[in-house]
This record gives sequence, structure tokens and C-alpha cells, in this order.
Amino acid sequence: MSFSTPQQSQQPQRAEQPVLQLQQLTRVHGTGATEVHALRGIDLDVFPGELVAVMGPSGSGKSTLLTIAGGLDLPTSGRVIVENTDITSADRKTLAAMRRRAIGYVFQDYNLIPALTAAENVSLPRELDGVSARKARVEALAALEEMELAHLADRFPDEMSGGQQQRVAIARALVGDRRLVLADEPTGALDSETGESVLALLRSRCDAGAAGILVTHEPRFAAWADRVVFLRDGSVVDQTVRSQADSLLTGRAAEL
Amino acid sequence: MRTWYHSWRAAIRIARRDALRAKGRSSLVLAMIALPIVGVSAADLTFRSSQLSPEQQLARDIGQADARLTDPLMGGVPLLQSPGNEYSSPEGDYENKPYPDGSTDVAKAVPQDARTLSDSLERAKLRTEHGLLNTEIRELKAADSMVKGMMPLTGGRFPQKDHEVAATDYFLENSGLKVGSKLTARNLDREYTIVGSYELPGSLKTDQVNALPGALLAPLDKALDKAGLRPTHPDTSYLVEVEGGFTWNMVKEANAKGVTVDSRAVIMNPPADSEVPLFQKEDAQNYGLSPAADNATLAVIGTVVLLALLEICLLAGPAFAVGARRSRRQLGLVGANGGDRRHIRAIVLAGGLVIGIAAAVVGTLLGLLLTYALRPVLEDLVGERFGHFDVRPLELGAIALLAVVTGLLAALVPAISTSRQPVLASLTGRLGVRKSNRVLPVLGLIAVALGVAIALYGSLMSDQFLIVAGGSALAELGVVALTPALVGLFGRLGRFLPLAPRLALRDAVRNRGRTAPAVAAVLAAVAGTVAVATFAASDDAEIRSYYEARLPHGAVALGVDEAGGAREVPGLRSAVEKAFPVGVRADVDRLLVGDPGCTTYDGYGSDNPECGRYELITPRANECPLWVSDPKNPEADPADRFSKAERRKLTEDWRCKNTLGGGYAPLDVVVGDAKVLKVLGIEDAGAEKALADGKALVFDKRYAHGEDKLRIRMVTDLKAADKAQSKGGTAPGEVKSFAMHRMEGGGQSYGVPVIMPPDAAEAAEVNTLPYGAYYSTDRMPSSEERQRLDSELSKTGVQADLHIEEGYQSSNNVMMLALAVFAGLITIGAAGIATGLSQADAEADLKTLAAVGAPPRVRRTLSGFQCGVVATMGVVLGSAAGMLPSVGLRLSERRSEMQWFEDALAQGHGSIDDKPFVPIVVPWTTLALLLVAVPLGAALLAALVTRSRGALARRAAS
Repeated sequence: MSFSTPQQSQQPQRAEQPVLQLQQLTRVHGTGATEVHALRGIDLDVFPGELVAVMGPSGSGKSTLLTIAGGLDLPTSGRVIVENTDITSADRKTLAAMRRRAIGYVFQDYNLIPALTAAENVSLPRELDGVSARKARVEALAALEEMELAHLADRFPDEMSGGQQQRVAIARALVGDRRLVLADEPTGALDSETGESVLALLRSRCDAGAAGILVTHEPRFAAWADRVVFLRDGSVVDQTVRSQADSLLTGRAAEL
Repeated sequence: MRTWYHSWRAAIRIARRDALRAKGRSSLVLAMIALPIVGVSAADLTFRSSQLSPEQQLARDIGQADARLTDPLMGGVPLLQSPGNEYSSPEGDYENKPYPDGSTDVAKAVPQDARTLSDSLERAKLRTEHGLLNTEIRELKAADSMVKGMMPLTGGRFPQKDHEVAATDYFLENSGLKVGSKLTARNLDREYTIVGSYELPGSLKTDQVNALPGALLAPLDKALDKAGLRPTHPDTSYLVEVEGGFTWNMVKEANAKGVTVDSRAVIMNPPADSEVPLFQKEDAQNYGLSPAADNATLAVIGTVVLLALLEICLLAGPAFAVGARRSRRQLGLVGANGGDRRHIRAIVLAGGLVIGIAAAVVGTLLGLLLTYALRPVLEDLVGERFGHFDVRPLELGAIALLAVVTGLLAALVPAISTSRQPVLASLTGRLGVRKSNRVLPVLGLIAVALGVAIALYGSLMSDQFLIVAGGSALAELGVVALTPALVGLFGRLGRFLPLAPRLALRDAVRNRGRTAPAVAAVLAAVAGTVAVATFAASDDAEIRSYYEARLPHGAVALGVDEAGGAREVPGLRSAVEKAFPVGVRADVDRLLVGDPGCTTYDGYGSDNPECGRYELITPRANECPLWVSDPKNPEADPADRFSKAERRKLTEDWRCKNTLGGGYAPLDVVVGDAKVLKVLGIEDAGAEKALADGKALVFDKRYAHGEDKLRIRMVTDLKAADKAQSKGGTAPGEVKSFAMHRMEGGGQSYGVPVIMPPDAAEAAEVNTLPYGAYYSTDRMPSSEERQRLDSELSKTGVQADLHIEEGYQSSNNVMMLALAVFAGLITIGAAGIATGLSQADAEADLKTLAAVGAPPRVRRTLSGFQCGVVATMGVVLGSAAGMLPSVGLRLSERRSEMQWFEDALAQGHGSIDDKPFVPIVVPWTTLALLLVAVPLGAALLAALVTRSRGALARRAAS
């Protein structure tokens, strides 16, 4: 893999509005001697139905990008627009509401609240939003059903395998009207086979209309994405489109 | 539909499941909150159940009868009574007449064609398995339908023949007799068979024997008369059944004959106040409880409840803080999924709600269950059967609500502080060291200053307990708010310490958010203990200072002052000598005026014409002018003749001072020889010689007539004496003169004013009667010896006053120890919670330590010191915070007592010797135990339970 030749932006031109727009995003941690530039002027649009993989070495700013995109952290400058709302200027309440209604997160591990069953975990954002428990449960069950996880509905997290937990987390990230899923190394704690199944689910959700960002170390998993963005020291150093990403695959490319 | 409570439901679900997952912590908090609820709800149930309805009360008092007619001993003059017969007073004005006194014949007030039962009560000595027992005899036809409910049978039947009796269960228990046993009274050769047992629902602890009217007391009277003793004097009332009930008009008619009535009809349907002549009298407001007193009680109860609530919140709060911290990743996840601050707050608060509700349910149920199961025990304790098991749902609900409120309040601060943490920080665990809040210490400082000022104002300027308590509570909250800042101050000590304690201290100081709540919990427990301990120790010192020894340490006094008891005295004297390690035995007699059957007390206010008394005569010149009333105006207060300054001066005059230096002696004149001096520890050759010469020893120089005469008046006509003295005159009676020897320094005599040698009494032709003895002992009699003597004494049936001088016995020691242990446990618990928390946080540090080569025991040492640091800080701050309320309370008490004392002096009452002593004593033992033992214990315990090798955990993902 080569980062030596930065290429021109190859973002596809589309008629629809992007779900997520990052504009000239910078993030500086600390000041003076401890100053660290985590992100330096990042531009990125993610459209419905698109899965974007973000790759890069440790400390390249992948996770910072994700936390800022989801409104968990604020950029030093630049804008983040989710579903036509600028979340960089939103207040705390609006941000929380955006996370309930527009943005879903999937972390590496420990994604589910241990005190809640799978169905309750999935319905949590809806319930926090004030939807009645019964309605939220119906929606959650529907979401689990759609992802063929209905049999897990009443299990607690410690009664599920890691892969099952991650798939339930994806279901939660996309429950209700949410269309943006931000996944931070969702397969990091899983063996490769289980990892594949989790990514297959993520891919299928994007094919069904969601927009996704996937932070990963592994080129294997990045191959599930429509686009791969390479970061180094907080800047985009390379971007590939799907066809190029496919070439990174070995056996699987032939099947598609 | 989107509504706020839907998100609360999710919060409660998470909180409930979390509470179940952390069972240890949850049950600890639950116990803390539920325990007071158990106590308070059980107290409420007991109180309510022991309150009777009017019907139930009537059944106990008058059975099924319509009324009970009673002699109020007012000589039969017309009187007025309240409808329930709580109060009665003679009709008309008795300001300038002697108050009516004496018995009247109740029977004459009984309406015609009424059916009556007489109910007579008197005490007599009955022979039991163990000896003689002074027992109440009740002559009443108990099997009659009118009596139903007054004395329910518990076994056998009521007496039907003259030689049968029934007895209360309590009597049977005390006497060792049972149904079927034979029973007899002292002086009586008749035998009775116990045919049944019963109880008095209103006073379970009464020794009572029931016989048919005339079956026991009349034969006993005959036997007593034969033995030359005074007859019985029963109180007789009448139960009445009358067609149409006993109306208010009939009650008033009975009142006119000097008889009071408890009437069913009147009590169930009381007349209007305007129809009650008693209430129309001028001083009617005296008859009734003042609502102000009720309000004051309520205020005190309210304050105590609030303070208790505050303490529980401070204790339970850290547990919620720990819970919130443990689940911070989970709360971060909720944040990532769109939970905003109020959702996080709701989840932590819901933890308090869930535990509060659980504590409410558990506490109330346990309270109900315990009261129900322990009802017989409680009834025995109260000495009264409950009317019925009275459950008041509203009151119990309010008490249970307290638990919910406590839970919520305890979770409030952790909820707010947790919700303020950034989601990202919660998710990654990178909390770092938060800048300490700058507002909180300032607020705390203000609260401390204000609280101390209020408490000081309360204690120095007013005598309002509430102000002191309120101020102290505010100050304690202030100290809690200051805790993080104070913890910071402790950190400066770090550089003087070796590695493990330095690391522990720095860690505690850097993570104030974690340390402060634990320190606050310890602080709260210690402050409460120190406050109570200081107050108790000071109170104890005060009571100790007022204690006056009746005898030298270890000496024993025996006295019998009972009608006909004198003949038992010789036997009793030797019984004591045999039972105890006696050195010197000094027999003493008393002077007797009148019949030998009279007691000393019969000489005062008895209507027995056979009895009299003697009076030590004080020469007019030696009398305190403040007490000598003017013969022309006997009603006026003699002190009014003097100005305030004169009165103040006179209180320091020797004539007005108690020169005996306190003490207590049951006799004015102790008839005995020089051995008495030996027992009292008076070594004075002159005194011994005087006694040998037949001179009386006088310890109070006010009685000295000239240099060498003591005069005693023999009063035989008590009625005439009372009349004369009420007019400020002297009682009629022969005056006897005795040679005397004056002793200086009356304090040595332990309150005995005069010791008279027997031959002096004989020479003056004054009768004496054996009274008892003084004994010196070689050592303090053991508990075994005392029990043996007690049973010997009880066999004689004589009420002997046995006093063993042991000095002041404090009842506080056990309580203080219990308090220290309680505070110690709470402290160790709170410190343990904090240590567990810091260990979870410090895992990374420990790995680093291990990596640079620290031996495994560092891990133990470190956790021990972490626990110790928290305990020490809490104990030091808590001791300081606890001193304030108790010292303030004592100061306010001192103020009010001094005020009272000065008033008394200014008015010429009281003596300068009665100057109040309200010390403030620091309970050093308790403090030392808390300051040294508790942190040490906490540290050792924490070190012991810590594994020296940590589990190798995967490093948390960043």
C-alpha cells in the first residue's frame, strides 16, 4: 500500500444530499509545547448508501475524526453537517438529540449496556427520545428481525457472543430514522470470521440506504467499503474508490 | 407520543438491573436507609396500637357497668368534674380555707334502683414461695357480668367461695405459686386456694389477688387488731348498672355529694363545654394541653428527623457515587446513543429511587412483621395490652416516603456531578484530573461560618436548642462542601512520607472527586458520634458533680421505716452482718413520738391520731430571714421584705446555707453510739467523748441554743400543729432539752444533722425504736453477696432500705463504647468503599509500579494506606465538626441554668450552694479510639483483603 502519491479528490458527483459533510475540519489538542494537530483540514462527504472506510496508522486522527463527526467532540475549526444540521454550532441538548435521532455509534467492544437486553439496548435511543416503551420495543424487534437477530431479543449482553453483540450494536445504531453509522474498529475484538459477518451486516445496511464510516486497521475489512480514506498525521493522504478497494481483496474480489 | 416519563422508564430499568447486579453495595445502602424506617414504623404501630378507643378504655376501667363511682378523698364537699373525670376540683373558693381532705361514703351517691358492685383495693403482705410479697388485694365479685373486660381470665375461674382467690399472672410469676396453690397473708391463719388467674389489660405488671367482697380484708383486719396493728384502709369504689345509663345530670348530682363518676354514657357522648361547670371556672384554661407544647415537641422531632436524614444521605451518597463511577462507561454509552445530561442524571437518580423504594417496602414490611410478631413482647414491655393492631396506612406511607426521599437525596449530588462529565471522557476512561470546583469551597466556607455563627448565637444569646441544632447542621454541610479543598491541604503533608503512604496520599488528593465523598461519609459518621459522645460525657460529668455520697465509700446503711417493721430490725441487722464482709456494725434507733405502729412519715400529713413527730428547733436568731414568715401576714412570701440586693447577700449568709454540705440521711436524729462515728469515718476524740458523756453531737450549728443546748419539740397533735404552722406560728408540743457537743465541718456527717447517744434519749424520757444499722466493710460486697442478702431480706416481707455506697455509677460507659464501635464500623465501611474505588482506578499505576520492579507487597501496602488516608481525613474533620453542636448545646444549657439560678437567688429562693455546674467534657477515650484505632483498623483490613498479585487485565482500548 502506498501513501506516497496523494491523488486528486475522486469523490463521486451525486444529485442527493450527503448525510454527513465534513468541511475543513481541524482539531488541535493541548497548547504550546503539548500542542498536537490531530486533524488538519479534512473534507469529506458521505452519501446515503455509501460505506467509507478510514485507514491509517496509530495516531493518524481516525478516532478523532469519528468522535467529531458524531458530535462527541468539537473541532477547533471547520464544520460538521449531519442531515443538513450544522452540529458544530449546536448546543449540548441539540447534540444529544442528534445522537438519538440521526447518528449511531458502534465501538470496538463493550457497546451494549449490560443491564439491558438486546431489544432494550436497541430501543434505548428511542426511549430516551420519549417514545413509549411498547412502541420502542416494536421498532427494536422490527430492526432485529430485519437483521436476522430476532432470536437474541431477550438476551442480556453477557449471554451473547462478541459478534452477536456487535451486530446488535449495529441494529441499535440504525434504529428509528437514523441513517448515519459511525463504526470505530467494530471488529477489533473479534476473530476474522466473526468480523466478516459483522461487516457483511454493516454493508447490507448501507446498501439499504444508510451512510457509514468505518475506522479500521485491516485492509481486508476496508475492502467492504465503497471508498477508503487514508489518514496520516491528521491529513488525508490517499483516497480510493470501490474498484480500487476491491483489488486489495484476494479471493473475495472474484466473487463480486 | 413522546413524553418525559418514557425516558425515565428506561432510566429506572437500567438502575433496577444495576442495583441487582451490584448486590453487595445495594444491600449496604438499602440497609442504611431501611433501618430507620423499620424503627420508626414499628414505633408508630406500637404507639397507635397502644392507644385505645373510648369503648376499649371503658371496658378496662368499668367493664360492662354504666358507671364507676369513686371517692376523690375531698371530704365529701360538693365538687366539679370534667366529663371524662380527668380533673375534679371542689366547688367554690378554697384560697383562704384549708383544702378539703378526707374520705366520704360513696354509697350515698348511688342512685336508687341501681345495681351495684363494690370494688375495694388495699395492699397486704401475702406469703409466697419466696417469702412475703406486698400485694394489691382486690375485693370484687369478678364473675359478675358487669366486670367483663376489666380483668379477663387467663386460666381457671374466678372465686365463688370465701376461701377462694384468683391472682394476676404477674403475681403468680413473682410468687412462684400456681393455680391450685394455697395462699395466706401475714398475721392471718386462714388459707386460701388460688382457683384462677387473670390479667389487667391496662397494667400487666401488677401483683394483684382477687377475692370476694369481705372474704379477705375483713378477717385480716380482725387478725391485725388482735396483733395490736393498724387495720387495713381499702379504697372502695362502686360499679353501677342503672336503667337508661348514667346521665350527665346524674353525674352532677353525685358530684354534689362529693363523689366523682366515670360514666359510659357521658364519656361516649360528652356534654358541650358550656354545660360543664368545671370548664366555666376562671382557671379553666389549666384543664387542657397547651398547643404550644405540642408544637415544640413537633419541632424537636422534626429537627431530629431532618438531622438523621442528612446523616443517612451523607453516608449513602458515596455509595451512589461509587456506583456511578463504576458504570461510567455504560453512562458514556447512553451519552453516545443520544442521552443528554438529564438522562444521565435520571439514571443515577433512578438508582436512588429504586433503592429508596426497595428500602421503603422492606423497612415498612419488616416494621409491620416485627411489631406483629413481637406484639406480646412489646405489650409486656409497655405493660399494657394493645387495643388492636392499628395499622395507619397514611402514616406508614409517610414514613416509607422518607426512605424514598432519602434515596433520592443521597443520589442527587452523584447524579449531578456524573452528568457533567463529557461523554467522550466517560467512554475512553480518560477522566484526567479535573480542576477542583472553585465555587464549592467558597460556599462551604460561607456555610461553615454562618452555621457556626448561628450555633454560637443559639448557645450564647438564646437557649433555643433548635437554633443550635440548625446551625450545626448547616456547618456540617459546609464542612462536607469544603472537603475537597481540605483534602487538597492534606496533600501537602505528602513529601514527608515514605513511598506507599506518599503515593496513597497523592492519589487521594489528585482524585478528589473520588476521595471527597468517602471522606464526607466518614466525617458524617464520626461527627454524629463525637457530638453524642461529647454531650453524654459532659452530662455524665454534671450528674457526677451533683452526686452526694450518703456514706463513706464501701459503707452500708440499713433502715426500716414501716408500720410494725421495728420488730424485724434485729434479725435484719444480723442478716446484713452475715452476708457482707462487715468491719464495724453500728446499730441505730429512731426517736418515736406516738404509737410504735407509726412510721416517720406518719408524722407528716397522716390523719392517724396515734402518730406524732419530732422537730429540731432552730433558735429564731439562727433562722434564715428569707424563710421566716411574718406571723401577722403568714400568706406573704417572707423574701418579699428584702430588696433584690439584700436577698442576694442573704443567700450567702451561713444561716441560709446548707452547712451539712448536702448528703442525705433519712433521720433528723440518729440514735447511736461512737461506732456510728467510726462507720462515718469521723475521727474526733472530742466527739467520741461527748457521746460517751451522753451529749448529742450536732453537725448543723443552726440548731445550737447558746453553746451547748439542743432542743427538740415532741409534736403529738398533728392537726393542731399543721393549723398553727400554716398560720406562721409554732406547733404545740413538749420541748425536750439535751446537752450537746457542736461539730464543725458538717460535710463529714453525710447529711446526718444530729447523733444522739441512747442514754441521752432515755434520760430525757424519749421513746426510741430500732431503725437499722450502719456498717463499714472490708471490701465492696460482691454481686453474689448482694443477691443472697436481697433474697434474705425479701423473705421477711419488710421493705428495708439497703444502701451500699459505691460512689457515682455512670451508665454511660456501655453507650459510649457502642457509639465508638458503630462509628468505627461506618468509618471502615466508607473507607473501604473509597479504597475499592481507588484500586479500580489505580490499576494502571500499579502495573507501572510492578513494571519498574516494585515487590508485590507494595500493592497491599498501597491499598492499606489509601484506606487509612481516607479514614484519617474523615475522622479528623468529623471530630472537629462533631464538637460544635455538643459544645453549643452545653453552652446554651449552661446559659439557661445560670439564668434560672440568678433569678432564684434574686428572689431569695435557692441557695448559693446550688450554683449550676454545666461542664463541657471532651470524651478523650472515645476520640482516641476513633482517631487512632479506626484508621489503623481500616488500613489493616484493607491491606489484608487486597490480593498482592493483581489479575493481568487486558489494557483498556484507547
